[in-house]
Amino acid sequence: MKHEIQLIVNGETRSLTVESQQTLLEALREDLGLTGVKHGCSTGECGACSVLLNGEVVNSCMVLAVEAADAEILTAEGLATDEGLHPLQKSFIDHHGVQCGYCASGMLISAKALLNRTSRPHEEEIREALVGNLCRCGAYADIIKSIQVASRARR
Amino acid sequence: MKAFDYIRPKSLEEAVGHLTQGKRVNILGGGVTLFLQIQNNELTPDVILDVKALPGFHDIRYHHHHGLKLGAAVNLQHLATGLEIRRHYPLLNQTAQELASPQIRNRATIGGTLAWASPVSELVAPMLCYDAVCHTWSPRGTRTIPVSELYLGDFKTALEPDELITHIHLPSFPARTYGVYQRQTIRHDGRRMIAGAATLAIHKHHTLTNWRIAVLGVDDRPKRVPEAEALLEGAPAEADIARALEAVQENIHPQDVVYARSDYRRAVLNALLQRSIHDIISNLQDS
Repeated sequence: MKHEIQLIVNGETRSLTVESQQTLLEALREDLGLTGVKHGCSTGECGACSVLLNGEVVNSCMVLAVEAADAEILTAEGLATDEGLHPLQKSFIDHHGVQCGYCASGMLISAKALLNRTSRPHEEEIREALVGNLCRCGAYADIIKSIQVASRARR
Repeated sequence: MKAFDYIRPKSLEEAVGHLTQGKRVNILGGGVTLFLQIQNNELTPDVILDVKALPGFHDIRYHHHHGLKLGAAVNLQHLATGLEIRRHYPLLNQTAQELASPQIRNRATIGGTLAWASPVSELVAPMLCYDAVCHTWSPRGTRTIPVSELYLGDFKTALEPDELITHIHLPSFPARTYGVYQRQTIRHDGRRMIAGAATLAIHKHHTLTNWRIAVLGVDDRPKRVPEAEALLEGAPAEADIARALEAVQENIHPQDVVYARSDYRRAVLNALLQRSIHDIISNLQDS
């Protein structure tokens, strides 16, 4: 069954035709070319495909594209502005939060969801926010540090 | 995923039509387990019926006398952050905060989590302690099922295939109700459960009454242990607590799993319950 839907992706309204069984992850990567959203486990365990759906972090592999109709989606591609990289992105580069990079866009999205509600999170809150994001390189310590530094840099 | 049709009915009347056409229909809440089953070909639905647009399914209503109504499509993150939940059902709030990951909590619904009926469902433990009741609807009418009677063991429920949970009701509890949730898992997101327990008691005239103990990971379903609860009534002494813990051990049937043997699960549950019961008693002494 085909559905005509609209998604507001990174601030831009996009119209697309999706099949019922198509996931939001597939729609973002294959139809809209947003390959910053990574395909990891397909089971909601790894968090590589994390996006913000109406401001809340979700695994895009666990949401049907049609379920997201008319929703606002933020992917890692939407973090930077004309003025440059987002403070989280800069901090991930400066403090080695990116090792192989596969988990990084999901980590950035989970961190963004955290900073949206808590401007100066404690380490424990950062760890809790990253429970659903796995890093196969084991770069957790640097990822946590990157988020801490970024949150301090923000006013 | 294999092809299916996606339908999002706006009323129960509209939903009936889809449930009575003789097609294979699966009900979609948050999808965090349904999509896995479809990917693994455990389920091959013709139609997915999304209940998230049905009227009342997102309701959260608290009344100090009548208690709490939670629509079936309320997500677990609401339980972790909602003010009514934090204030009046702190045990449910505390448990929800520890559930899964933010990504999963933002999608998983209360109705879907209860209907999935996992033997290690953490949400069920506080629901059992608070005497929660499921309200359901099917083309044949509505009925109520206490959460304590919902689970038949090993992922089976008392729900008919075309029966939806519409909402959950929790009765009101006195302000001086204390609850503790304790669990031990291999993974911090709750996967690979060893054992867990929710414990609750009501403080009344310098005693603790209406004890409830709900255990999970140690039987084919999460369940209350009334044999142990009865032994704690009043102001339990160390000997009473020891007898209650023994009663728990006599009434559970944990399975060996690759990451924990059954005797280890027994020992872990014992430690968690000992801690929880003492926590509640020290709460009484502090107040």
